Amino acid sequence: MENKQIIGLFVHNHPGVLLRVTSLISRRGFNIDSLTVSPAAVEGYSRMTIRLQGTEDDVDQFINQIMKIVDVKRAEVMPQGASVASELMLIKVSCRDHDTNDILAVTSKYHASLVNLGDNSMTFRASGAPEDIDTLVSELSPFGIMEMARTGIAALEYGDKCLNT
Amino acid sequence: MKLNGSEIIAECLLEQGVDTVFGYPGGAVLNIYDALYKYSDRITHILSSHEQGAAHAADGYARTTGKCGVVIATSGPGATNLVTGIATAYMDSIPMVAITGNVTNDLLARDSFQEVDICGITLPVTKHNFIVKDVNDLADVIRKAFRIAMSGRKGPVLIDIPKDVTGALCEYTPRTPDVLSDPVLSSAEDFAAAAEIIANAKRPMIYMGGGVVSSGAEAELLEFAEKTDCPVASSVMGLGGFPASHRLFMGTIGMHGGYETGKATDNCDVIITVGARFSDRVAGDRKKFGQDAKIIQLDIDRAEINKNVKIDSYLLGDLKDTLKLLTIACDRTTHKQWNEQLSEWSKKGAVTETPASENYAHPYHVIEAVRKLTKDSDIIVTDVGQHQMWVSQKYRFEEPRTWCTSGGLGTMGYGMGAAVGSAVAHPDRRVVLFTGDGSFHMNLNELATVKSYNLPITIIVMNNTVLGMVRQWQKLFYGCRFSQTDPHRATDFVKLADAFGVKGLRIHNDDDVESVLAEAFSKTEPVVIDCRISPDENVLPMIPPGKTVDDMITEME
Repeated sequence: MENKQIIGLFVHNHPGVLLRVTSLISRRGFNIDSLTVSPAAVEGYSRMTIRLQGTEDDVDQFINQIMKIVDVKRAEVMPQGASVASELMLIKVSCRDHDTNDILAVTSKYHASLVNLGDNSMTFRASGAPEDIDTLVSELSPFGIMEMARTGIAALEYGDKCLNT
Repeated sequence: MKLNGSEIIAECLLEQGVDTVFGYPGGAVLNIYDALYKYSDRITHILSSHEQGAAHAADGYARTTGKCGVVIATSGPGATNLVTGIATAYMDSIPMVAITGNVTNDLLARDSFQEVDICGITLPVTKHNFIVKDVNDLADVIRKAFRIAMSGRKGPVLIDIPKDVTGALCEYTPRTPDVLSDPVLSSAEDFAAAAEIIANAKRPMIYMGGGVVSSGAEAELLEFAEKTDCPVASSVMGLGGFPASHRLFMGTIGMHGGYETGKATDNCDVIITVGARFSDRVAGDRKKFGQDAKIIQLDIDRAEINKNVKIDSYLLGDLKDTLKLLTIACDRTTHKQWNEQLSEWSKKGAVTETPASENYAHPYHVIEAVRKLTKDSDIIVTDVGQHQMWVSQKYRFEEPRTWCTSGGLGTMGYGMGAAVGSAVAHPDRRVVLFTGDGSFHMNLNELATVKSYNLPITIIVMNNTVLGMVRQWQKLFYGCRFSQTDPHRATDFVKLADAFGVKGLRIHNDDDVESVLAEAFSKTEPVVIDCRISPDENVLPMIPPGKTVDDMITEME
């Protein structure tokens, strides 16, 4: 059965490591919808977070293949229900044909904050679980989404376990 | 002591026990070649005609010795010419370190003369690659490159070095290389589970591949097969890893494998896969491959488990260790009835040979005649195409590392370079290259190398005047529309050999085979034999792509 799994990678911060990971994803035909890179808690290392769509076997094969990249030190599934996943979005909504209060009624439900008000637009910052961000986007779409930027997913497993070791 | 980057390269090669390298000089590697001049008493450099030939030579050297092959080329076109050779080694898990020069650091990324991003280009065909921008990193990168190439599932590693780095001075401290060992990652329970499947098997078989040779696990496999009385089928890459004369050896498995191995795959109840990867040339229909069997897989690469075929039980680690432990966990058994059944299939599957002709020799006849003249330790190299499959079917390999062929990538033009590498590595053994007129035309420039170093290679050109393997597919699947497979070339291979300063001989038909081969084998110099083969000769039997033994083609026309 296909579903979405979030995988955390702990990698050496060497030039080209992102290319090695994306090249593998592309040539092995894996289906991903989010990839983020940031410094890890340990100097000289980066943290990558990838959301992959596929069966359990696909996820298994993905981790086995990715672990063959010399610069990848660890790769693990962030277990559903036992990890936190979050992303940040900036979204510009048209308020030309709508009452701004209607828009604010939606955004306040998701704790999105208004960061800028233009002549015909409102720009919000929202963060949270990727599914909640998806829902917010769909609820805002009737007003007219002019532009949006999403950071992609960051995820950490619950408890004391770390990927950094 | 302070050395320049090029001397550090030479010192690090010596640290790793390298005494032979293959390559071709150029602007960006002038410093390296200057160091090779200085170190010429300790490092032999073999100069090829083309960088591709040098890469295949390093590959042939690695396959026949088990050591890491080393190839050096200049920046830009020198580096890109290595790519096919590196990809060939990658597909067959052959350890190789490729060293390329690049433009100086200040000229990088400016589209400078002979600049190319070889790390970007070789990314999908190397285990890893490096660009060394600081001479202080150089020695450790080289050590790491060898470690990566030779550990786990082996393969090629590329090191790209800007020219200023090869000239810069740096403190060098010698270091003895690490002893490499790949741990067994499976538990005692895993071995017990696999052993139980084998104990319950009534009709087991072993499917072995190149991993057996790569690991050097021939003795362990033999012991396991004998203890469990399991018949053995080999991929093309596995040949030599199990003696062909052994009662349990069935031959090759897959597209041009025997009827017996195909029937065994379909009718067995357990397949023990040893260092093989279920490629499409073996598991044509991967959903149906061994569909009634439990499949056990022994491999060093975790990513091979469940990649193409669903596995029931697997053991991870160096085959030498995992086979030994599995053998201990298994009881001695016999499968008399099953082995008798296989012999019967073997008789049924015999292919009828085409009738003799005064214009052509029969390829099987040539291969069998060569086999009568060679020792078990002599080395057989092939190019790619029909001749390659005929050799894989008919030549009886008894010893590991006596077989060089491009199994995974199927690189036409591989043979000449690989034969050079094999002959350089083994001056005491005979090297026979079987090639086709198509493959030979691709890299016959290496005849110049063969002559320069007077390498006593016997080159047998199975000359059917057509691109036989593609033509065979056109016969079978494209209504005999022979698009671009009959090149109408007028090359006279005997005269060609003569022009390179090499002896040329000709086999016109079956009557010449023994006498011409005897003459060639009496010499200690290179010989090219133009061996006339019918353009209508086919490789049979054949399982069409995506099919099983039930669809096997045993006759054509």
